Amino acid sequence: ISDQKPLGCWSVKHGQILTCPVVCNFDTHEYIAVHDDKVLRIWKDEDINLDKAFKATLSADVYRIHSLPLGGPVVLFRGGGVRTLDALLEAPQQEIENVISAEVIRWSGAFMEGEQPVLIFTTAKDGDFFVYVQKPKLSSLHKYKLEQQESAKPLCFTAHITNQTVILLCLYSNHSVYQVLIPLQQDTEEEEGEEAEILSKSLLLKLSVSGAVLKGTSLVVLDKDHVAVLGSLAAPGKERRECLTIWNTKFQTLQTSKELPLGTSGQLWCYEEKFFLIHGKLLTVIMYKCETSSLAAAVGKLKDRQTPDVSSFVNWNTLEDEELVVSFQSQEPVALKAESRINLRSRRSTVAGEQPETLSVGQLLINLKDAPTYVLETELRKLMAKAPTPDLQATIGCVVTALTDRCKKNPKYYPQNFLQEIVETRDLSYSLCPDLMALALEKKDMHLLQICLERFPDIPEEITYACLKAFLSMSEDHLKSVDVNLDSAICYVDVEFNNTEVKTEILENGFSAEMDQDMCGTKAPRASRSIDESCPVGLQKAALLNAVLHSAYTETFLLPHLKNLPARQAILFLRYLYYLYVKCSEKVNTTLPGIRSPTINQIMDWMCLLLDAQFTVMVMLPEAKELLSNLHKFVRAQVRFYSELNKIEGSLRELQRLNLLRESQTYSIEVLEII
Amino acid sequence: IGCEDGSVKIFQVVPGGIQFERNLDRRKGRVLCLSWHPSDTHIAAGSIDFFRVIDVASGQTVQRVMVNHHVEKTKRECVVWAIALLSRGTVVSADSFGRVQFWDWQQGTLAESHTVSTSAALSLAVSEKEDSIIVGTSTGATYQLQLLPVKLGGLEKRWVRTKPFQFHSHDVRAVAHSPTALISGGLDAQLVIRPLMEKMQKKSYDAALRKFTFPHRRLVSCARKARLLLFQFSQYLELWRLGSTEETGKDGEVLPLCRMPEHLVQLKSKGPEHIYCSCVSPCGTWVGYATASRFHLYRVRCDGDGVSLRKVPKVPKLVPPAYQLQFSADSDSLFVASARGSVHVFQLLEPGGCKHLHTLRPPSGCSEAVYLLAPSADGHWLAAVSGDWAIHIYNLKCFKHHCVVPTYKCAVSALAIHPITNNLVIAYSDQQLFEFSIPEKQYTSWSRAVQSRGLHRAWLERDSPITHIAFNPKNPSHILLHDTYLLCVLDKSLPLPDDSALLMNQSTLKQLPETARKRQLHAFKICKKFQPLLFMDLLDKNCLVVVERPIMDFKTQLPLPVQQKKFGT
Repeated sequence: ISDQKPLGCWSVKHGQILTCPVVCNFDTHEYIAVHDDKVLRIWKDEDINLDKAFKATLSADVYRIHSLPLGGPVVLFRGGGVRTLDALLEAPQQEIENVISAEVIRWSGAFMEGEQPVLIFTTAKDGDFFVYVQKPKLSSLHKYKLEQQESAKPLCFTAHITNQTVILLCLYSNHSVYQVLIPLQQDTEEEEGEEAEILSKSLLLKLSVSGAVLKGTSLVVLDKDHVAVLGSLAAPGKERRECLTIWNTKFQTLQTSKELPLGTSGQLWCYEEKFFLIHGKLLTVIMYKCETSSLAAAVGKLKDRQTPDVSSFVNWNTLEDEELVVSFQSQEPVALKAESRINLRSRRSTVAGEQPETLSVGQLLINLKDAPTYVLETELRKLMAKAPTPDLQATIGCVVTALTDRCKKNPKYYPQNFLQEIVETRDLSYSLCPDLMALALEKKDMHLLQICLERFPDIPEEITYACLKAFLSMSEDHLKSVDVNLDSAICYVDVEFNNTEVKTEILENGFSAEMDQDMCGTKAPRASRSIDESCPVGLQKAALLNAVLHSAYTETFLLPHLKNLPARQAILFLRYLYYLYVKCSEKVNTTLPGIRSPTINQIMDWMCLLLDAQFTVMVMLPEAKELLSNLHKFVRAQVRFYSELNKIEGSLRELQRLNLLRESQTYSIEVLEII
Repeated sequence: IGCEDGSVKIFQVVPGGIQFERNLDRRKGRVLCLSWHPSDTHIAAGSIDFFRVIDVASGQTVQRVMVNHHVEKTKRECVVWAIALLSRGTVVSADSFGRVQFWDWQQGTLAESHTVSTSAALSLAVSEKEDSIIVGTSTGATYQLQLLPVKLGGLEKRWVRTKPFQFHSHDVRAVAHSPTALISGGLDAQLVIRPLMEKMQKKSYDAALRKFTFPHRRLVSCARKARLLLFQFSQYLELWRLGSTEETGKDGEVLPLCRMPEHLVQLKSKGPEHIYCSCVSPCGTWVGYATASRFHLYRVRCDGDGVSLRKVPKVPKLVPPAYQLQFSADSDSLFVASARGSVHVFQLLEPGGCKHLHTLRPPSGCSEAVYLLAPSADGHWLAAVSGDWAIHIYNLKCFKHHCVVPTYKCAVSALAIHPITNNLVIAYSDQQLFEFSIPEKQYTSWSRAVQSRGLHRAWLERDSPITHIAFNPKNPSHILLHDTYLLCVLDKSLPLPDDSALLMNQSTLKQLPETARKRQLHAFKICKKFQPLLFMDLLDKNCLVVVERPIMDFKTQLPLPVQQKKFGT
């Protein structure tokens, strides 16, 4: 304690002696003292004078008072009698029986066993040791005799209660700790005066470490595997040192020790994970923490392990916990939602299986199974218009499933607009409605597929591939009549008018076709270049392919499917990717304009993936040869261009710095165009 | 109020001021910090080397606790910079040794001590539940301490230092603890709001870290006709004439100046008071400013090269201070925002006089002061916003209250009246925009359309509020807005962007050929070229004035931060 300061001081009159330790009744915050063996004093914090405090004179000598939380104080008399303080105060002069004849009490301890206070004390007489267990409220008393130990006497006792059994630990003078088990008997009918039962003891711990023995004076139990012993360590040829030690009883090891060079009184107390001892002239408080006993900890190999207690200091998990609570409250539907959020593909089947069970929604859907289509749609719209509930997401999944089921049954039925509306307005995922995309593929609903590809985060690679194949195989003429969202492609695909002026204008990074050719050192035929420069696919197809490029995939799963792509389609797709790549490289920032247009990384990844999958086909096909060669040249030129850029990086940086200097002018008139 | 001489004085807050009530027990040692007990029975006062607890009813010191124990080697004094008195009798002190200590003041004992910093702990704030404390230190770091159970589910609790934050470069002079966030203000001129993630249910706008450098109010005013700018500093004003050019050019070009900008005059405020608000008239011949207690009006005359400044004598005395000044568009009158919802109208007289004409007051009364004013260009209307966020509109022709704009749940951050349509455009602190037709006393159909459609998410999630609104006289559908990081031309004739569209699409548009632009156009034309933006106004039909205040400009003027060794030497 860094700051020791008496908070209160009370003294008895001259001539009187305090004869047992003062205790505090934690229930009433009163202090209880005994002076001159028989006189009880009870007072509170605000009482200043002990003389004026409550006084009660008892008929017998008090040995000790034990204060038990929730049980009230218990008084143990020299003669072995036990009373609760309440009972005693009702009639202070009551007769106290003498339980022990010529024995002397050595130690006593009190515990709560359920609602019952239990008092244990040990007595000694002519080298024999006895243990008494008393329950004052039931007035039951048991007497036991401790097994004799040759050439050693118990020095110190401590006890605790586990599973209706008192575990008494005894520190013997042969530097050992013994354990004695005393069952707490329920029956009180046992006759008194019978010869005391003999308790057998077992060796728990030998207080010796590498030749040195610990002469213990006090013993405290810390938890089921740890005890603390205060004593002096005597190694042969060395000075005796007093120290506080913590031992692991499970592995018989010394866990830690602390030297106390100023000497102690030999007493040790322990409350709430703190040791209290008198070290020199100071009261020293030492905090401790017992980790769960493990062999690693016992041999000192456990270094950086975070104890679970420490991690519970900071409740980082509040958020998760709260979410958990919510999910417990609304049970299944939310579990479904959580799954859809996590997008566990493996759970797909279970989600589908559970859907019909969802509350009344499932019931409603079953009812609507055979309803006419217009009734179905109006009912479903009503269902979705409801206020958002935690299970709304799952409900919509069910609605879509109901619709797709209906479509499967009735090939003529296909509510295109309704499905589009649902997919566009709700945060659906593939796993919530696994049949939807298959149905759209079957019905060749390009727009719905595009929306799904853009919005679903968890489309299986198989379906992505099926979409890609469907898009590539569609004829341009047919696509022209299809309504798809062109936002991703319209800004850079110039199909209708081959406006070269626009393009030369935006050659920003200094790269030009001429430069490319100079660097390659070979003259590519002019004709092929013009083919490369125009987009190989129509605007609609480009927009659809962009949706594929945007969807998430895993290479390993996509590659086997891509191998099945017909050669013509593969080349068309590669040609489009090449076109995109060239388009990207035209700009300094290598991005394509427009909303949801593919990024350069997506383009490159798909290009590599496609080349990997179709490698042999590409090598064999004559029409692919020129494309590959152009691609190769272009990539090589890009690599050179960037390496040249790297070389002049220093100069560019200097230019940038100069630019900055100019910008830091405090006043300027600039032209600002806002479109 | 704790004083240098060691006394603690209690004042009563009465309408219109504070009133001395009594002196509490005076002891030697300057009082540096004070804290009321939540039940108002005691006051803790921190001094050098000790703190004391005073009983308010008796005025007596009931406990005096030394805090400099066990630091004997260093003979420096231990300054208690901040103190907090918790409801269960714990005193928390933050001192110059970087310690946060918990004391049982009744016993005078130290319960816990946490050394949070090697330099001083300067400020602390306690959450309302008293389970969390934020401490600001002189290294710019803030720390959170939380009262947590020692064992999960256990009853015994201890204070644990949980989260360190480093958002400031200099002293953290003030901290506050809201239920969901830690707020700190530093000598580096920043206000930082750090939400506590464990109190946030989901990732949202509220869960983002926020930093504020500039006050959310107008510090620059512009005389459009005279092309003058008035800059308000804390102790003085500066009037500048803008430079000009005769050239034109393409987007992004810097044009050569034919006339340099000219610093016309610096007007120093007398006395220690800071300037609270200022304004220059549109014609550029009147300049007014107000401090906490006084209001000043000046006449500016520019003849040729010379500038003369003359104080207007006998300015009507204002009992409460002015919160905002605004000249009418024709520079004939001056509106002074005042306490209790009132607006004074002064008539400006030639050659240099001023006369109180009228005081406008909301008919239902108001306890809050007016903090924003917007007169209409035709001199017919005046909109005034008071601290209770009510917007009152007055008819200036007959000095009558015209109507109240329906109250909204947020503070008004800027408002202006359209010169042609007399529609009042209002920007709220939650980034919502409303347009209210003054003649028809209702929201316009465009405003209703905006509300039903909703603004773009990127717009709503911006950090800083709109601080100024202007209009383009050439195109009535244009509204010019700005906050600290962007200026925006809001074109009402274009469709509103939906959440999937790119909000800041100017750079994309510039890349597109003219033909492809049409599809991409939407109402918000945003320019982020100028940052941090202090002020923006339209001078004439194609001339915009923009004032930037580079953060480095004032960062370099700050004192050196506390030296911290990064590597062991």
